[in-house]
Amino acid sequence: MPSPRTNVLVVDDESSLRRTLRASLSASGFDVEEAHDGETALSTLERRPFDLILLDINMPGMSGIDACRRIRVLSPRAGIVMVTVHDHEDDKVHALEAGADDYVTKPFKLRELTARLRAVLRRTRIQDAPLPEVLEAGNLKIDLRRHLLWQGQEEVHLSPTEFDLLAFLMKNMGAPLTHVKLLRSVWGPEYGGELEYLRSYIRMLRKKIERNPAKPEYILTEPWLGYRFCNPSDPDSPPGTDEDE
Amino acid sequence: MEQAHARVLRKSARSVLFGSSAVALLTFFCFQVHVDFASAIPLYLLVVVLQSLTGDFRSSAIVASLSAGCLDFFFTEPLFSFRMTNPLNGLALVAFLVTALVITRLVSRVRTEAEFSRLQEERLNRLYQLSQRLLTLEPEMAMAEKLLPPFSELFGITVMSIFDAAAGELFTFGDSQTSLAERTREAYIHEHDLDDRDSGTAIRCLRAGGKLTGAIGLEGIQDTAETASALAALAATFFERARAFANASTAAAAAQTESYRSAVLDALAHEFKTPLATILAAAGGLRETGPLAAEQLELADTVESEAARLGRLTTRLLRIAKLEREDIRPRLELVDIASLVTQIAGRYSARFPDRRIQLPGRSDIPEVLADPELLRLTLGQLIENAYKYSHADSLVTIGIERLDGFVAVRVSNNGSSIPYEEQNRIFERFYRGADAIRSTTGSGLGLYVARKIALAHGGTLELESRRAANDVIFCLKLPVSKDESSYALTAN
Repeated sequence: MPSPRTNVLVVDDESSLRRTLRASLSASGFDVEEAHDGETALSTLERRPFDLILLDINMPGMSGIDACRRIRVLSPRAGIVMVTVHDHEDDKVHALEAGADDYVTKPFKLRELTARLRAVLRRTRIQDAPLPEVLEAGNLKIDLRRHLLWQGQEEVHLSPTEFDLLAFLMKNMGAPLTHVKLLRSVWGPEYGGELEYLRSYIRMLRKKIERNPAKPEYILTEPWLGYRFCNPSDPDSPPGTDEDE
Repeated sequence: MEQAHARVLRKSARSVLFGSSAVALLTFFCFQVHVDFASAIPLYLLVVVLQSLTGDFRSSAIVASLSAGCLDFFFTEPLFSFRMTNPLNGLALVAFLVTALVITRLVSRVRTEAEFSRLQEERLNRLYQLSQRLLTLEPEMAMAEKLLPPFSELFGITVMSIFDAAAGELFTFGDSQTSLAERTREAYIHEHDLDDRDSGTAIRCLRAGGKLTGAIGLEGIQDTAETASALAALAATFFERARAFANASTAAAAAQTESYRSAVLDALAHEFKTPLATILAAAGGLRETGPLAAEQLELADTVESEAARLGRLTTRLLRIAKLEREDIRPRLELVDIASLVTQIAGRYSARFPDRRIQLPGRSDIPEVLADPELLRLTLGQLIENAYKYSHADSLVTIGIERLDGFVAVRVSNNGSSIPYEEQNRIFERFYRGADAIRSTTGSGLGLYVARKIALAHGGTLELESRRAANDVIFCLKLPVSKDESSYALTAN
């Protein structure tokens, strides 16, 4: 764990979950404080800054989304991870639009949560550093200035749009990116609803960079939300979904 | 009936008596003042016409004949004899008789028709009142005793029997002395109507769309056969209305029950999520708190993996409950269905190591246009069912083939079967087969939702179970993207 210890504010109205998270996250190397609703969280944050905020989306009083928006204003540098419920798929989009960096879905394993928290922390720490010209993930290496991509020693040919899309994904490595955000950032601000464009380009990219395009390791689908670029050699990269039961 | 006849006879006799008295008075008067034959004729004609205004044709004819007799006897030569010396007088007398009879006939016909119209109007009025009364009855009262009173008050019906062929039910309101219910059923069986004037019974067969649907019997009816038909039609209409209402109420109640059930499922699943998250966090935290002995570590892992599994089950249940309630709008993209099948089957075969599995060989299977999450749910449901409802050492076979415009995935297992009478019902909401209830748990929603998803993709999901063979085959067909090239945009 980075030193000094990372501090996390856990905001949840369920006291047993809050207490358990405090114990478990402390054991995993985090400093934990609790808040039982959005208002308390805001007043705690006014007193002292936190590196990370774990914020439940369903809370009585101020909603998690509203709290997220106000926390973002108050602590622009803090990493915010929202706790969502699986069947409300739009919640994730709302959370990201409100400024959250990532989300976990209830119920989640502790390892999954700590991996998310660490990945978000890392992303927020490198926010200010200038972006390097060359990014690496697994055996991929992308040269942003010269518009080149290598897979191992081999150069992979990409069309300009494919390159822009992959570059944007890799610059936001580990972060969930909504369809709309990808379309606007790569194609332009007037885009947003053209999902088939995006999907066909993702297919192309997967064919070129994935070992098995049907079981991608780099460009993961976030169901009904968008995509997330993962570095398979990063221990904190999200594990594959295991939903069939 | 005889009483009515006697009443008519008495009325005729009175009319004849009255007419005859008038003729006698006129004869006496004319004879006294020496009125001649020619002048007497119009006076007698006047009496006959006046009499026919009140009496029927029969009595008027008698009075007319009597008048002719009096004219002949008292006013033609020779007097006091029916003989006639002047043939012209005979001719005049015949003309009188014919005129009197024609007038009498016309007048009585007009009167009969007026009477008939009055009766008709009154009958219509009563039928109208009856239909009004029936309309104000609550439909749920149809089966109760409330149906009979309007009929008995307005038409004197004492007993009513309704035989409903579709339900095979016989309803009788009132106490019948003539076993009306049985006769109504018999009328339906022999398919002919019945009118029994002696007992005032009328039975009518009911038809809808040319098909016999039942019969209605009425007892105590005093009207004509046409009235009986109209009454039967009214009763049948009301009965149908009540039945439709009852069916609609049952359907509405069933829909509401399902919606409650779904809501409870939803709430329950939600309530599960936070405790599950707590258990998972606690199990994970236990591992982090310090060096654990190998057994302790294993226990913590078990708690974690089982709670995680419960979480996935809850999530799936919740998703299915949601898909069951709402319209499914798939977010389509091209999916490599062959890889997906292999992936999902791999997970289940790890969970059921005692079953044998035969996977499809990779061949040229085109991609389908589908919502990957929904497709995963559907395939998972079919493959899980094949494992869940088969026995140890059963063979689970999954095949994929390309058909004309479709990709068909067949999931089959041997060693179990679905009873013939259940085969049409397994796709119904909340339906669970008798064996399924005994052997495994389930919500009764899985196949319903799986089929709903298949249909939302323009595909089908069917059971291909053969009755004799001891195996169950489900076939999922999904359309191949018509224009795959439109999605595979060439890179610019």
